[in-house]
Amino acid sequence: MVMSRTFLVGILLMVLTMGVFHIPDASCSEKEKGSEQSPDRMVTIAAEYPSIQMARGGEKININVYFRNMGKTDENLNVWLINNYKKWKASLTTFSFNITGVYIPSGKDKAVVFEAEADKDINPGKYEFPIKAQTTDGKFKLSEVIVIEVLKEKSELDKSRGIKLTSSYPEIQGTPDSTFKFAIDIDSTFVDDTPLDLSAQGPKDWNINFKPSYEDKYISSLRIKVNERRTINVEVKPPADAKAGSYPINVIINTPKSRLETPLTVILTGTYSLDVRTAGGLLSLDAKQGKTSNISFYVKNTGSAKNTNIKFMTFKPENWKIEFKPEKIDAIEPGELKQVEMSITPYEDALVGDYSVGVDVAGEKVTKNIELRTTVKASAAWGWIGIGIIVIVIAGLFGLFRRFGRR
Amino acid sequence: MQHLKTIIKKELSDHFSSYRFTIIFALIAMVSLIVAYMIGINVRKELEGVAKPQFIFLMLFTSSGNLFSLVQFVAFFGPLIGLLLGFDTINRERNEGTLSKLLSQPIYRDTVINAKFLAGVSVISIIMISIILVIIGLGLLVLGIVPGIEEIWRIFIYLVISIIYISFWLGISILFSILFRSTATSALAALAVWIFFSFFVAIGASAVADALVPDIKQDIKVAGSEADYLRSRIINQFSLISPMHLYTRATATIIDPTRKTTQTFIEIGRMESISIARFSGTLPLTQSILIVAPYIVSLIALTIICFALSYTIFMRQEIRSF
Repeated sequence: MVMSRTFLVGILLMVLTMGVFHIPDASCSEKEKGSEQSPDRMVTIAAEYPSIQMARGGEKININVYFRNMGKTDENLNVWLINNYKKWKASLTTFSFNITGVYIPSGKDKAVVFEAEADKDINPGKYEFPIKAQTTDGKFKLSEVIVIEVLKEKSELDKSRGIKLTSSYPEIQGTPDSTFKFAIDIDSTFVDDTPLDLSAQGPKDWNINFKPSYEDKYISSLRIKVNERRTINVEVKPPADAKAGSYPINVIINTPKSRLETPLTVILTGTYSLDVRTAGGLLSLDAKQGKTSNISFYVKNTGSAKNTNIKFMTFKPENWKIEFKPEKIDAIEPGELKQVEMSITPYEDALVGDYSVGVDVAGEKVTKNIELRTTVKASAAWGWIGIGIIVIVIAGLFGLFRRFGRR
Repeated sequence: MQHLKTIIKKELSDHFSSYRFTIIFALIAMVSLIVAYMIGINVRKELEGVAKPQFIFLMLFTSSGNLFSLVQFVAFFGPLIGLLLGFDTINRERNEGTLSKLLSQPIYRDTVINAKFLAGVSVISIIMISIILVIIGLGLLVLGIVPGIEEIWRIFIYLVISIIYISFWLGISILFSILFRSTATSALAALAVWIFFSFFVAIGASAVADALVPDIKQDIKVAGSEADYLRSRIINQFSLISPMHLYTRATATIIDPTRKTTQTFIEIGRMESISIARFSGTLPLTQSILIVAPYIVSLIALTIICFALSYTIFMRQEIRSF
């Protein structure tokens, strides 16, 4: 409709410019040419679509009405529309003003637009709109009738003529951190090019975008050609903190003549993610050979799904003992924090120095690793014993001095 | 106390005025120059390709150079300094008849032995400090690196352990000089003890280990490593009777902070090696000291016991010359 309108405007502009600059020449030559074949005076009227169907509550109707002057003389016509219906607003227009008269140079066409809009509660049935025209001298009278048939329901029309939406995968499952891509095929059976407005209704904070297939840009409208099939991608990005569940998304496509909806469903399965850290974030500890050292760490479920059966596995040197309290975590809800007490016992003959002790926290579908720098220190107990021995020996020496000295 | 000082001064002047001093001076010069020269050549080579060397200065003492490092040198030949200083302490005076003259003065008998021992320790300290200072000086010249505080501490502790070790041998030789009337006998006895502990114990230990653990080097490698470990343990236990062994162990982690144990052969698991290699670093000084504390304690105790023995015997001995 828009296309035809712009086309019309183009013609009109052309005619107008010709009218300004070339009318004398053109009219002369037309007159000379037409004088051989055409009758002296002849004007016709024709509607582009004399009979149309529309749904109740549908869009405004625009139909071109053509006047043609096949005579040798230029004609001035008075034009009027007969509207017998209260629930209809109808007029003949061009650009934005109403028309009551038309000037048609010899051999030229002139198009005006018949506009009609019905109230929403109009009764179904046939409505006739006669368009009358008369030359200013009253010698020629023209008449054309546009018949508009109002149908009961929208779907009645859609079935026969319009746009069909099909989605091969209306349900997609995934985690909240993924992007869901639906493909929707749009089949147009319109007889002319149609602009489509794309919109979608989804849960709050969800990001829904339309993309043409094989092109990386977001669109919000699309022009579909006659009998064309286009595929558009609907990209759905849930917010990161979305809970697991099923979410309906309604894709709405508005054409000038109709409104279509297609339901899509996103099923969020929830993410599995764990965070493991020690209290205070310190990843090192001191231990003594053969002595138990304790460190506690927290396991936090940072995913959106419940994580069950979390086990602890360790990477440790041979002969070391590592125990966890509790030995495993049965279940941890999203966002929940659980404390684990870990006790490390280095081997009795372990060398002094820094060791790496790794802890794998293995939950459902996710494993988190922390590495602890364990500094094994020599036990100071033997140092004290040594000092004791030296003290005893020196005491013995002084005993000797006392006993044998000063002779 | 006044008498003690007088006798120490007299002893020191004896040490420094005799040919012995010339010998000692030659020893200091020789050892320092040889060690500094050899290390000067080698340390640069050893440092090539090392990304971030730590404790380079201590390498002056541990780097083995062409023949031996200072630590090894002191372990083997340090005892000789002690023996040289002490083998004729008492019996020379006795043979020359000066001991009874000395004791006829208003001097306590224990002052004599204490002063002689302390004078020997002073000379040993002077020798060791000179050697180490000369090496540090030459090291500064060759390496152009200033030692850090921890390095200085380690060198100091090493120095103290070395002085104690050599003092032990001084105590042994004084003991022999009290026991034997002839200076030649006491010198020979002291040398025999030195040879026994320095060489025989090492050879004997491996002989015992060989006897106890069958040599299965021809067998499968895995079984071999188990046997090797056992052998090394036996050698280690057996060697503990040698003061030289104690000294080597005691200085091992003090002067070489990258060492984490006193053992030369340790059994280490695969996981353990990965785990400990993750943070390969040097030991802090306190940890190094704690590791070798038993050895240091044993050395100090041995030295004191040895001196106490000489003291007791000397105090109860008949000192009149025959």
